[in-house]
Amino acid sequence: MTISRRAFLHAGGLAMVSFGADPLFLDRAAYALGDLRRGIAGRKTLVCLFQRGAVDGLSMIVPAGDRWYWQERQRIALPKEQLISLDGMFALHPRLAPLKPLWDRNALAIVHAVGSPSTTRSHFDAQDYLESGTPDRKSTPDGWANRYCSHAREHTETPFRAVAFGPQLPRTLAGSAPALAIDDLRTFGMRAARAEGEQRLTRAFESLYEGAATGLVASSSAEGFEAIRMLKAADPTARPPANGAVYPRGKLGTSMQQIAQLIKADLGMQVAFADVGGWDTHVNQGADQGQLATRLDELGGSLGAFTTDLGEKMRDVVVVTMSEFGRTVKENGTGGTDHGHGTAMMILGGDVRGGKVYGRWPTLAPEARYEGRDLAVTSDFRTVLSEILTGHLGSADIASIFPGFTPEQRLGIFG
Amino acid sequence: MTRHLTLALCLVLAAPSVAPGQAPISPRDSARHVLNRLGYGASPGEVDAIAREGVRPWIDRQLAVRSPGDPALASRERGYEVLQTSARDMVAMHTDQIAKALKAQTGAADSMQRMQAQRALREQRSAGGKKELRDLNAELASVTLLRAVDSGHQLAEVLADFWTNHFNVFIGKGFDRAYFADHLEHTIRPNIFARFEDLLLATARSPAMLFYLDNVESVADGTDLMAMAAAERGRRAPVNARGLAGRGNRPAMARGGQTAGRRVDPALMDKIQQRMPKGINENYARELMELHTLGVDGGYTQADVGNVARILTGWGMDRRSNFEFRFSSAVHDRGAKTVLGVEFPAGHGEDEGVRLLKLLAAQPATLHHISSELCARFVADDPPDGCIDDAVRAWKQSNGDLREVMRAIIYSPDFWAAANIQSKVKTPLEFVVSAVRAVAGEPDSTPRLAQQLTRLGEPLFQMTTPNGYPEAQTDWVNSGALLARMNFAVALAAGRLPGVRVDLDRVLPLATSHEALVDAVNANVLGGGMSPRTRETILRELADIANPRDARALAVGLALGGPEFQRQ
Repeated sequence: MTISRRAFLHAGGLAMVSFGADPLFLDRAAYALGDLRRGIAGRKTLVCLFQRGAVDGLSMIVPAGDRWYWQERQRIALPKEQLISLDGMFALHPRLAPLKPLWDRNALAIVHAVGSPSTTRSHFDAQDYLESGTPDRKSTPDGWANRYCSHAREHTETPFRAVAFGPQLPRTLAGSAPALAIDDLRTFGMRAARAEGEQRLTRAFESLYEGAATGLVASSSAEGFEAIRMLKAADPTARPPANGAVYPRGKLGTSMQQIAQLIKADLGMQVAFADVGGWDTHVNQGADQGQLATRLDELGGSLGAFTTDLGEKMRDVVVVTMSEFGRTVKENGTGGTDHGHGTAMMILGGDVRGGKVYGRWPTLAPEARYEGRDLAVTSDFRTVLSEILTGHLGSADIASIFPGFTPEQRLGIFG
Repeated sequence: MTRHLTLALCLVLAAPSVAPGQAPISPRDSARHVLNRLGYGASPGEVDAIAREGVRPWIDRQLAVRSPGDPALASRERGYEVLQTSARDMVAMHTDQIAKALKAQTGAADSMQRMQAQRALREQRSAGGKKELRDLNAELASVTLLRAVDSGHQLAEVLADFWTNHFNVFIGKGFDRAYFADHLEHTIRPNIFARFEDLLLATARSPAMLFYLDNVESVADGTDLMAMAAAERGRRAPVNARGLAGRGNRPAMARGGQTAGRRVDPALMDKIQQRMPKGINENYARELMELHTLGVDGGYTQADVGNVARILTGWGMDRRSNFEFRFSSAVHDRGAKTVLGVEFPAGHGEDEGVRLLKLLAAQPATLHHISSELCARFVADDPPDGCIDDAVRAWKQSNGDLREVMRAIIYSPDFWAAANIQSKVKTPLEFVVSAVRAVAGEPDSTPRLAQQLTRLGEPLFQMTTPNGYPEAQTDWVNSGALLARMNFAVALAAGRLPGVRVDLDRVLPLATSHEALVDAVNANVLGGGMSPRTRETILRELADIANPRDARALAVGLALGGPEFQRQ
C-alpha cells in the first residue's frame, strides 16, 4: 500500500518540481500548477458535512403535516408560526432560513426518513458504518469516499483531491488513496522566522521522512510536503469571500470558507469533508431557541455564506449533510431526545433536482415507527450517496464503493 | 503464569537474551521500551540507568506505587490553586458567573451591547486578580502535563490518563467546569490500582459523570418535581404567608406563581416547569454498558438500556450543600427490572444500582473489553489475543485488581515481542510529553504548554464525546498532524516554545564536530534509536551551519520532529 501510494504521488504532474533553496522554485511550482489545472479543468467537488452526535432530523426538517410530531413533542416542537414551510408537509427549522432561497430556486433537495439499515443505537458504531459505507461490517478498512478516490483515479493527480478540515482524518477519507487533513489552511506548513529557514526545514524534514518513515507516517508526510508546495504557489487564503458572503464565526464557518478558497484555487479538490458536532441533544434541546437552534444557526449561516461566496461555481459543487442516526420521535423526560433511527439529509448545489423532499414518509404513527419509538428508515444513505457519486462526480463504480449494497429504487435526486 | 514469568525473567535479566523464536532485545532497547510504553519516554540518561540496573526493578517499583502522586512533586503541586479548591467552591464560582452574566445581559438592547457587557465583566474580574473557573481548569491541564513530564511515578501517570480517557468527561459541559477537577483528583487518580469494580462505582457516583451523561436529569417516568418541591416546602414551613404550600398534590408554584410569599414571574415558572425532568434519560445507561463495561458487542439489548436507566434513577448529587453524590429515593423508579436476564426485584433503591454495577464489572464481556483496551494502549493498536488472555486470566485470579492486570500485561510475552517494539505511533499527548522529557524541559505553570497540545489535536479533558480520545495510529497520523509535530519539535529545541523552559546545555554540551553532536543527540535525546539514514540527513543539513548553538538546536529539532521519535 505504501509503495503504490508513493509511486502514485510521484507519477503526478508535480513530482518533477524540486524544492528548497532553488530560486526557481515558485516559478516552477506555478508552472506545474498550470499543468495541473489544465488536467483537471471542470473537475467537480463534493463537500460532505458530518453532523456528529446524531442530529434530530425531525427538528431540522420538520414534518409539520404529521400530527404525531405535535403530539409527541409537547415541550420541543417548534412554534408553528416560525416554521419555514417547504411543501405543505415539511418545513425548515427557522434557523435554517438562509437555505430557503436555495430551495426556492430548486438548488436544495432533502431526503427524509433516511439512514442505515443497521439497528445500532451506538454513536460510534453508527458513525463507523456511515463512514465505511458498510453497515454492520466493522472490518472494512477504508472509508467510502476514499474508495471513490481509489477507483476513479485520474491521470493528473493532486494531494488536494480529498481534503478533510480538522486535526484528524475522518474514517470517510481514510484508506489507500491519498487524503489530506488540514486543521487550518493558514497555518499549514513549516513555520520559521525567515523564509529560508522555512525552506531548509521543509527540505530537511522531507528527506528525513523519505529516508526513515514507514507505513502511514511515510505516506502522510509525503502528501503533506507535496501540499505545502502547491499551497505556496496557489496561495488560496488570499482570496476574500465574494458576493458579500459573511461566514459565521467558529470552526464550521472557517472550514467552509477555506473549502471555498480551495475550490476557487482550482487545486483539483474532488471531496472535501468537515465535521460539525454538538447534535447529541439528550437534555433541553430547545425549539426555536436553545442548543439545537444554535447549532442549526451555525449550519444554516455557513451553508448560506458558502453558496453565496461560490456563486456561479456552485454548479460544480454539491454539499451533502449526514448524521449517524436520528433521534426518538417522542421527547424524553428531560426536554431532549434519545438515540433514534431515521433522520434527514440535505443535498444542495450542482445539478441537483431541488425544491423537493425525497423518500417515502413512513409517518410518525406509533405502529409505523421503528421498534415502536423511532422514525423508520425508508431510504438507505447509500442510495443518496450513490446518486450523488454518479449524478455529480460521474462515478460508474458504485459496486466497489459500496460493496454488498443492492441498490434500491432510485430517488432521482439528480434525475 | 509460571511460563510467563520465566520468559519475562529471561528477557529482562539476561542481556542480551532471546525469547523463543524472537530476535534478542538488548538491555538498552528493553529500557527504552518500558520507558516509552509504561511511561512518557526517556529523560536524558534514563535509558542507560535502567539498562544498567535491569528493567525489572524499575517495573516493580512502578507497579508498587501506592498512590499516584509523587511526593517529590508535592511542593510544586501546591502552586496550583485548583488542587486546593473544593468542588463546592468551584460550583459557587460557576453559579456566580452565570448570575453575573445574566445580570449584565439584562437590559442590553442588542447582541453588541451584550458582548460589551460581557467583556466589561471579564475585565472587571481579571482586574480583581481572582482566578476564574476557566483559569483553575487551565491549571488542571498544566499540572497534569507537569506530572506527566516530571513524576517519578510514570506508570501511574500513564494509567491516570488511560482511565480518565476511558471514563471520559468533557470539562466544558455546564457544571462539569466545576466538578471535573474533583473527578480527576478524587475519582480517577486514587483508583488506578484499585479493583475495577471500585473504580467503576466511583465513576458512577462522580458528580462530573452524573452530570456529563445526564443521569442527574434522569428520573422515574411520571415524576413531578415541582409538586415534590412544593410538598417539601410545605413540610418545612407548614403554614406560609399565603397558606398555599403543602396542600394537596398539585404544585403550589404552578398554581399561583407564588411561593413562600414571594411573587415569581409566571412565565419564568412556566419555563422552569418545562425544563424539569419528567422521566428517564438513557444516555448514561447506554454508555455505561457500551463504553465503560461490556463493550458495544457485549450482548445487551435496548430493553437492557432502558432498565439500567430505571435502576439508576435517583443517582445524583446533593445540590444544596456539598455537591457530593446523593441517592434520591423520591425520583427512583420503584418497579422491578431485568438486566442481562438478571432480575432486580422492586423496591431496593440505591442497592439496585450497586448490584447492577458489580454485575456489569464482573461480566466476561467487560473483562475482555477492558483488557483489549489496555493491551491496545500498552502493546499494539491491534491488541494481541495472547496479551488479552493474560490480562483476563489475571483479572479472574485477582478479582479485578487492576495492579495485577497491569502486571500480567507487562510480563506478557506480547509486550516484549520484537514486532511490538517501536510499533506504536505516539498520540499527541505522548509526543508532547516525551519531547519535553527528552530535552529535560521544565513546564512552567502557565497554560501555554497545554495550549500546544490543543494545536496538535488533543486538548486535555476536552474530548466532547464519551468515547474519549482514540488510541490507534490511523486516528492520529495525517499530513497536517505530522507537520504540526515538526513545528513543535523545532520550536522546542530552539527554546522558542511557549510554556516550557529548555536548556540544552544541561543535556548536550556543545560538541566539537557535527558528527559528535549528532551522536550525542542520538544517545541523549533519541535513546539510541536513530537510523543511519536519519543520521546522514541531519549531518547533511548541518553542513553549512557554523554556529554550534544553531547546529545543536537544529539537530535536536530534526531528531524530535523526525520519524523515529513519532514511534514508541
